[in-house]
Amino acid sequence: MFDLIIKNITQRKLRTGLTVFGISLGIFAIIVMGGMSENFNLTFERSISLTADKIRVMPEGGFFGASLNESKVREVRRVPGVADAYGMLQAPLDPENLGFFGVDFVIGIPPEKQQAAMKDTELKGGRFLVPGDGYRAVLGSSVAREFNLNVGDEIEIKSKRALRATSITNIKNFTVVGVLEYTGSFFDNSVQIPLDRAQDFYNRGNTVSLIFAVPDANTDPEELTKRIGLNVERVTTFSPDEIRRQIEQSLIIFSLITISAAILAAIIGGLSVMNTMLMAVSERTREFGLMKAMGAETRDILFLTMGEAAFMGVLGGIIGIASGAIFVNRMNEYLAARGTVLFAITPRLLVIAIVFATLLGILSGTYPAYRAAKMSPMEALRHE
Amino acid sequence: MNEPILAVRNLSKTYMQGKIPVHALTDVSFDVEKGEFLSIVGPSGSGKSTLLSMIGLLDKPTGGSVLIDGIEITKASEREAPRIRREKIGFVFQHFNLIPTLTALENIDIAMRFARVPKGRRRERAIDLLEQMGLRERMNHKPSELSGGEQQRVSIARAMANHPAIILADEPTGEVDTKTRDMIVGILKSLSEKGQTILVVTHDTAVADRTSRIITMRDGSIASDISD
Repeated sequence: MFDLIIKNITQRKLRTGLTVFGISLGIFAIIVMGGMSENFNLTFERSISLTADKIRVMPEGGFFGASLNESKVREVRRVPGVADAYGMLQAPLDPENLGFFGVDFVIGIPPEKQQAAMKDTELKGGRFLVPGDGYRAVLGSSVAREFNLNVGDEIEIKSKRALRATSITNIKNFTVVGVLEYTGSFFDNSVQIPLDRAQDFYNRGNTVSLIFAVPDANTDPEELTKRIGLNVERVTTFSPDEIRRQIEQSLIIFSLITISAAILAAIIGGLSVMNTMLMAVSERTREFGLMKAMGAETRDILFLTMGEAAFMGVLGGIIGIASGAIFVNRMNEYLAARGTVLFAITPRLLVIAIVFATLLGILSGTYPAYRAAKMSPMEALRHE
Repeated sequence: MNEPILAVRNLSKTYMQGKIPVHALTDVSFDVEKGEFLSIVGPSGSGKSTLLSMIGLLDKPTGGSVLIDGIEITKASEREAPRIRREKIGFVFQHFNLIPTLTALENIDIAMRFARVPKGRRRERAIDLLEQMGLRERMNHKPSELSGGEQQRVSIARAMANHPAIILADEPTGEVDTKTRDMIVGILKSLSEKGQTILVVTHDTAVADRTSRIITMRDGSIASDISD
C-alpha cells in the first residue's frame, strides 16, 4: 500500500511541496529555538557542576552593586565545618558594551585559590595565576578566541567609575599568562586576574562581590549554609542546591518562551497538513467511495490517508531538522569567532523534533482520514 | 432447481426527502440463476439504481432482504460488508470510475490488494484479465490515455478480478458510442456464457435486447419480468 501513498503524494508536487515546507519551517523553529534553550541549560549545568561543591555567600540584599568587606571572608572561614573560604570580585570586561548573550567578565580571584574555584579545569596553554602576580591574566577559552589572544599577548581591561554626572574610564593592559581549556561554562567568558589587582583597578578597596565557602568532607553543605547565615552578619547564603533550584526556575521560563514559540510554528505547519489532506480527501471522494465499493476495509482507507499525512510530517521533519542543524552549525561557527556559542543540538532535542513532526503529521491526518473512511460508498460515488 | 445465486425478497427502500417519505422501492422480489445475463430497465426514478445499490451492499434497505450465494448480505454488519463486497460483487460504473493516478494494470491490481491477494498472483491475474479484454499492450497506460471503450474494459476486468458471484453494471454503455457499446455488451455476454452472472441496469433498449432476461421497473416495483 505504501507505493500508493507515494504515488498520490508525488502526483501533486506543488501542494505536497508547500505542505512539507510548512512543516519543515515549524520543525526548523523547534531545532533553532530549542537549540538555544538547550545551550543555556547545558551552560548552566556545566557551570553548576564546576562549582557544585561550594556555598555562595553574597552581600545581603542582592548581588548588584553591593559588596562584602574582606573581613567577612575570615568570619566565614571561622564557621565550624568550613574547610576554606575565599572572596572574588566580579566586573564586566567592557562596561560600555553590555550584551545579553555570553557577556565577558573579569574575576578577581586570590591566585592560590584559582584552581580550586574551577574544580578540575585544565589549561590549554601557559600557567595559572600565582601569588605575587601583578597585572597578569588567565583567559577563558571563548575570550581568548574572541580577541585572538595567546599566552604572552596583552588584554585591555576597562573600568568605569561614576563621578557625579560623568564617568571616568580607566584602561589597563594585562599580560596573558594562561588560557583555560573549553569548559562549556561561564568560565569560558572570564578574564581571571589577581584579586588585589582587581580591587585596586576597580577602586573597590578591600571588598569582594561574593565568597565561596568550601565545606569540609564531613559536613552537610545544606546545614553549613544555614550555619554560615547564622554566624556571619549581613550576608545571604546559597547552598549548591538552592543555586541549582534558582537557576532551574529561570531556565524553565526561558525554555517555555522559546519552546512555545517553536511549537506554535510547528502547529501552524500541522494545520497546513490538515488543510492539504482535507482538500485531497474531498477531491478524491469518488475514489474513496470506489475503493469501498471494491471492498476496501476502513483500515485500508485510514492507512492510505493517514500514511500520506504521516509521510509529509516525517519528510517535513527530516528537512526541518537537517536545515535547522545546518543553520545552527553555521551560526555557532560565526558566533564562536566572536567568543560565544548560542545553540546546542542535543539527542533529546532531536528526538523531540522527530516525534513532534510525526505526531503532527498523523494527528492532522486523523480528521481528514476519518472523513474519508466514514464516507458512504454510494454518496461518494454520486459525488461529482 | 438450483439454489439461485441472487435472491431478492420483498425489498423496500423509503427515503426521507425533508419530511416527505419517498418510496423508492416497494416489495421487490426476484431470483437470478448462476450464469444469467439480465437487464433491469425502466425510466429515471423507477428505482433501478436504488435496487442495484442494495444488491451491491452500497446502501441498506428499509425492508426485505438480499441473498447472494445463500448469504443474507442485507444483514451484514459494517465490519462484514467490505469482505462481502470484495468476494461476492464486482461493480462496473457508467463513468468507469478508474483511479486516475494508476495505470490500467494497477487499477485492477488494487481491487485484489484489498482482498489481500499476494503480489505475484495479483499481477498474473491482472495481466490475464487484460489479455482477455484485448488490452495487454495498454496495461501501463493511465485512464486519461485510454479511450472510453478501453476504460470500460479495464473496469470490467477490475470487476472480475476477485471472481465475484455477480457483476453489477450500472449503465455501462452510458458514455460510449454505439460501436463501443456493442463491443462491451459482447464482452459481458461472452462472460455470462462462461458462467459469470451479470446484472445490467440500462436505459438503452439495444443493450437490454441482447440480454436473456429483462426486468422492467416502474415506480419502485417490477412491472414485467420477461425471459427469452
